[in-house]
Amino acid sequence: MHVDPHFPTGRFVPIRSVVAAALSLAYGGLAAQEPSAPLFETEIAPILQERCVACHGENSPQAGLDVRSKQSLLAGGVSGPALVPHAPLESLVLQKTASGAMPMAGEKLAPVEIDLIRHWIESGAPSRSDDEVSAAAGRAAHVNPREILVTTVYVKCLLCHGRRRQEGGLDLRTRETALKGGVSGPAIVPGEPDRSLLIRRIVAEEMPPEEHQARLSYRPVTSDELDSLRRWISQGARWDDESPAAVDPKVDPKVSDADRDFWAFQAPTRPALPPVNHRRRVRQPIDRFLLAKLEKQDLTFAQDAERLALMRRAYFDVTGLPPSPEEVRSYLADDRPDAYERLVDRLLESDRYGEHWGHRWLDAAGYADSEGQVDFDAVRPHAWRYRDWVIRALNADKPYDEFLMEQIAGDELSDYKAAAQPLDATDSDRLVATGFLRMGPDGTYSVSQGFVAERMTVVADQLQILTSTVMGLTVACARCHDHKYDPIPTRDYYRMSAILRSSYDPYDWLSPNEADIGPDADWNESNSRLLPGAPESDVDEAARFNAPIEAEADRFAAELAALPAPLRRKLLDEKVPGLPNEVLVPAGKVLTDAAVERLADTPVEDTELDPAAVSKANALLGSFVEARQRLRPNPLVRALFDMGGEPTPVHILYRGEHRSPGPPVAPGVPSVLSDGLEPYELEPLPWSSGRRLALAKWLVQPNHPLTARVIVNRVWQHYFGRGIVQTVGNFGRTGSPPSHPDLLDWLAVEFVERGWSLKSLHRLILTSTAYRQSSRSDETRQQRDLDNVLLSRFPMRRLDADAIRDSVLKVSQRLDLEPFGPADEIEVRPDGEVVVTDSKQGQRRSIFVQQRRSKPVTLLESFDAPQLKPNCLQRTKSTVASQALQMMNSEMLRANSRYLAGRVIDDVGDNPDAQVKRVYLAALSRPPSEEEQASGASTLAKMRDAWRRELDERTPMEPKRMKADWLALATFCHTVLNSAEFLYVD
Amino acid sequence: MKTRPPNAMGTARGPLRGRSSRRDFFARVGDGLHGAALATLFGQDLLSPLAATAATGTRRVYDLTVREPHFEPKAKSVIQFFMNGGPSQVDLFDPKPALAKYEGQPPGRDLANDIEFINEAGGFMPSPYRFAKHGQCGMEVSEILPHLSEQVDDIAFIRSMYTTHFNHEPAIFIMQGGRQFSNRPTIGSWIVYGLGSENQNLPAYVVLDDPKGLPVNHLQNWQSGWLPPVYQGTRVRSEGAPLLNLNPAEEYPAPVLDLARSLLARMDRSHRDARPAQPELEARLMNYELAARMQMEASDALDVSQESEATRDMYGLNDERTASYGKRCLMARRLVERGVRLVQIYIEGQIWDNHSDLDKSLRYACGKTDQPISALIRDLKRTGLFDQTLLVWGGEFGRLPLAQSRESGVAGRDHGPTGFTAWLAGAGVKGGTIHGATDEIGYRAVENRVSVHDLHATILHQLGMKHRELVYSHDGRDERLTDEFPARVVSEVLKS
Repeated sequence: MHVDPHFPTGRFVPIRSVVAAALSLAYGGLAAQEPSAPLFETEIAPILQERCVACHGENSPQAGLDVRSKQSLLAGGVSGPALVPHAPLESLVLQKTASGAMPMAGEKLAPVEIDLIRHWIESGAPSRSDDEVSAAAGRAAHVNPREILVTTVYVKCLLCHGRRRQEGGLDLRTRETALKGGVSGPAIVPGEPDRSLLIRRIVAEEMPPEEHQARLSYRPVTSDELDSLRRWISQGARWDDESPAAVDPKVDPKVSDADRDFWAFQAPTRPALPPVNHRRRVRQPIDRFLLAKLEKQDLTFAQDAERLALMRRAYFDVTGLPPSPEEVRSYLADDRPDAYERLVDRLLESDRYGEHWGHRWLDAAGYADSEGQVDFDAVRPHAWRYRDWVIRALNADKPYDEFLMEQIAGDELSDYKAAAQPLDATDSDRLVATGFLRMGPDGTYSVSQGFVAERMTVVADQLQILTSTVMGLTVACARCHDHKYDPIPTRDYYRMSAILRSSYDPYDWLSPNEADIGPDADWNESNSRLLPGAPESDVDEAARFNAPIEAEADRFAAELAALPAPLRRKLLDEKVPGLPNEVLVPAGKVLTDAAVERLADTPVEDTELDPAAVSKANALLGSFVEARQRLRPNPLVRALFDMGGEPTPVHILYRGEHRSPGPPVAPGVPSVLSDGLEPYELEPLPWSSGRRLALAKWLVQPNHPLTARVIVNRVWQHYFGRGIVQTVGNFGRTGSPPSHPDLLDWLAVEFVERGWSLKSLHRLILTSTAYRQSSRSDETRQQRDLDNVLLSRFPMRRLDADAIRDSVLKVSQRLDLEPFGPADEIEVRPDGEVVVTDSKQGQRRSIFVQQRRSKPVTLLESFDAPQLKPNCLQRTKSTVASQALQMMNSEMLRANSRYLAGRVIDDVGDNPDAQVKRVYLAALSRPPSEEEQASGASTLAKMRDAWRRELDERTPMEPKRMKADWLALATFCHTVLNSAEFLYVD
Repeated sequence: MKTRPPNAMGTARGPLRGRSSRRDFFARVGDGLHGAALATLFGQDLLSPLAATAATGTRRVYDLTVREPHFEPKAKSVIQFFMNGGPSQVDLFDPKPALAKYEGQPPGRDLANDIEFINEAGGFMPSPYRFAKHGQCGMEVSEILPHLSEQVDDIAFIRSMYTTHFNHEPAIFIMQGGRQFSNRPTIGSWIVYGLGSENQNLPAYVVLDDPKGLPVNHLQNWQSGWLPPVYQGTRVRSEGAPLLNLNPAEEYPAPVLDLARSLLARMDRSHRDARPAQPELEARLMNYELAARMQMEASDALDVSQESEATRDMYGLNDERTASYGKRCLMARRLVERGVRLVQIYIEGQIWDNHSDLDKSLRYACGKTDQPISALIRDLKRTGLFDQTLLVWGGEFGRLPLAQSRESGVAGRDHGPTGFTAWLAGAGVKGGTIHGATDEIGYRAVENRVSVHDLHATILHQLGMKHRELVYSHDGRDERLTDEFPARVVSEVLKS
């Protein structure tokens, strides 16, 4: 029986005819009979021939569309028919040209041409070959095997009949296994849809099973899909037998030698140091490259910065924090000639270095402590292990090539699955490092956003993070079409996507959710992204923490188990079902035995039980639950790992649409990056597919054109405000060209030769004249180097969001320097401000504060903390009024000013002169000038008077004078914390 | 286009001047920069590293100064009633008597692909409400919208809206930013990016959220995405302090405050004087002054107690049910009167998201909003603002003609993305229009279908902008609100 899909059985006019009727009302009739209607061959074909056929012609019909005949327009391409006679608005050929979306390159069609096409369609699209059209319609009934497999079988069947599970013994991944079938017989009988179990089960609405469709994000097979499946089986149920075409960079029609010659795709070589006139200003080779360009404009570096200004700058640049008053004093007292170099060494050895620079890497990785995307914005309780790994790796100066290898393919470096648990430090660290590609936003834990399209977006985001952060390439465009400007064809986008397929398979998806979402426990284990493998110390600590609580819970469990069966039955029926998931199962186990099960069908009457005993039993269960809930979760790793087995094939997706699969592709890297490089070579490992390991190895070749250049450029950007390539995430043709190409290459080569040492790179920059020069500008510099591209002075700049918050805390001695571990809580105040929850020790650095994508800390947000969607390589710096409001009026600033005042009084007593001096030293890292001293002390004295008068009118608990002096100093501190000098670094 | 009414902008400046020591202080901080120089300052960001070419001209600086549109606009401002949650078209604007015939019958397999809570799907459910024809146009409106029913001749209804996702977050992203991705600028950001603002002392793009809770996607509803942050919406609260930290919890005594301000002025001036040619420092000084101006003008603009009792009553401010939404509608009028470009009014959480107990929850949502919206239309007409203000009403999707049954309780309806109703009114809109149609059961838009992109193009059009030419270059790509989607201005609902 034919079942009409949308509506109650067979009572409706099919939708299509409704549309057709509406359209014919709108466009039909009269127009078709107009005598002057244009004819395809004479009037339309010439336009299309000139403007469209280059891409939609015989040789390379883009998106499957050929525009050379009316029939081929009717047949259309992957987006559907390009022509609907009488319906210009439904006709893609008009839509695309009229909107200007097509032609993609070159001039758009002239209005008169568009009008002509429109007129032609409105007139019914007459052509000389109009009677051949019906024949073409018959051919369209052929079902493309790839399309039906990818859009229907993969999406709606493979979850239970694929790699992980073969329910009923059935595996639908290959034709052989499908024909062989499972315990009920062959799933497919070629040529006979009605005898094929696949069809029969779908028609009977047994498959895909209804009970899991909500939880596992699939839906019934639609009538169109069912129709296609039938026809596909009638036509022999052919499988998609095309194998991925090999890509040989030497003969690649998509990428030319000229494309490869672009500077960023050629290996850097060490350039000669240019000659300069101001040789005394050269401290490091990098200075020569800059000076040579400056001198061409008759400029040179600005004079060296003042000593304390340079000290403050270096503190912020290396550690993200200002120096303490003691540190300022001891630096001032250090009169050795290399005092500054010693300072640089100290700073780079400080643990604060890894925290500060780690934050920048985490921005690039899109790190957050929550999933984002979905309103609920689930917290990621295990993400912090990756954050800590990054900080430790930077502090240990792990060579950048290893740093990348472990993050991209840590799981493939050794057979961690065969190793004993808990894993040793090396294996554990490597697993944690793979968190790099698990940090982007991911809403697929939501069952209504866990469909294939959303899963593909997660993969696309991760690819974007990988390519922009590590390779300096923006490839997102190539997800939908061959990159317009860069030689990254769509094919290469999907080849890179195939590298991730063994760990991110949209048809075989691991849910980021930790709660139970699968049909059974067995499923959950195989469906989790969290691996055991946390460091032994974590495991031990959790065990130590949990041991006494477990003992306590066991005692309650024993008492519960000893209760009379009717009481236990009552608890099971009435209390247990309402318990939270994590305690429901253990409670059930404790209470159940044979005696209780026998009572299952005979409800316990209340009258049979003693009320006192019932309430005691309830209390006991409550204690048990409470104890269990205090247990720390098992230390787990949010890792990226090879799922094992053969992942589903990867196809080019036209327009990025998962319903428009094109040819299959094999894992690979952009063909344009091949000159002088060892190719991407896949060597399957006994324990893993090796797809990502091959990528990592390919990337860390010393002569890779991008890897070293991209990271030295980003480090440079963080020091000088702009990269040598300003578009730090885009080294391609649409990116900006390097301002100092030789300098970039020299740095890249030097960096690799120094063993990929980041600290060594930092030291090089920090000890250069370019870095040590003053930020003061003047007319000449302003005229000849307006945007400071030549670095004719150091760029003065505002602190970034984290440095502002951390500085306020450090200055007021409220900064808790305890590193690592689970992120600190945030809270939303009634007025909507998001703040960090205070502890006794104050607050920790911003990197240790929970980064909830939906709830950015307000102070950080207003100073441009990035929204990680998916990641951020370059923070914007805005100057807007809300920042002033935040600094003037927020309780965070006011409270910390009171703390600062308190500490100043503790340290120097109540002398106003000493107080002013101390506040300057703490907040601005310098003593006040005589004038500032005098003016500050006089203002402070007046503030004291004003507060005393104010308090005279109140009756505070505290001594009035003492309180007034303290509040006066707090107001003074608050003012200094609002000053430009506090917020800007020279 | 009409000129602004006489008391539109900057009214607060003269009379309040002498009273405000805060103001005077900031005038000094800014080194005496007043008036014209400051008029360009709100949110100005002098530091943006890259200039982009918008169709409305080359930008070196991303700011909110007024910019010329592409052509003579019909609308100067927009008020958007964002009905987050997804109002039910078949119970409000799109009567479907045929549903009675199919009551209780289960949906087929295709419709099942459009159901979010598939395990709770019930059979077809007719609307419990009576519909009657109203106005000269004869638009049929549900009995639970009695106030709006009186104004159908001022409104153009689009019964054939459709979108492409059945869940709130993605569908809201689509409605706000044109695509399902969460990182895109919202339509409001595009509008102020394209046009700037007529009043530099108030935010250009004001969001009036419901004190009872934020909508789904929270602050992302008014994010600027990859547009510069100066174009993001500013959340203005209708209760308590209108702007976050507009005032401190407890202000310092006045003499202390004055001392602090002049100390800061001295420090910042000498800091700046020692650093010539740093425009950023100048910008910062000016922002402190602007902050002060906002404290004055925002408080005045949002003070609805200045309105007459009759007006307050008309908006329902004296009725508990309507007071909250009514206050925000009234604030919206006071804001567009002062040259604010865009006001979006949100409602608590998801009151249109009537998954269960349809009648109760829908009556609540209508009761809360019907009278205030109607009053705003009336009030705008009275003040002459109606002809230059575009009103947009709609949610991220509609609802299914099916019943949805949760474990206990009365049935509601699940999300319906394939066909729903939105309406436009005001500037250049052809009142009394009924555009498009859904199928017999109100499930899918079939006639004169209008996509979200079409709606966006239409809104931009009324503001004098061509959607293809409002461009921002991001990551080497020319980005648009309508992306590469075919979009057309729905001219059928506009006056020619």
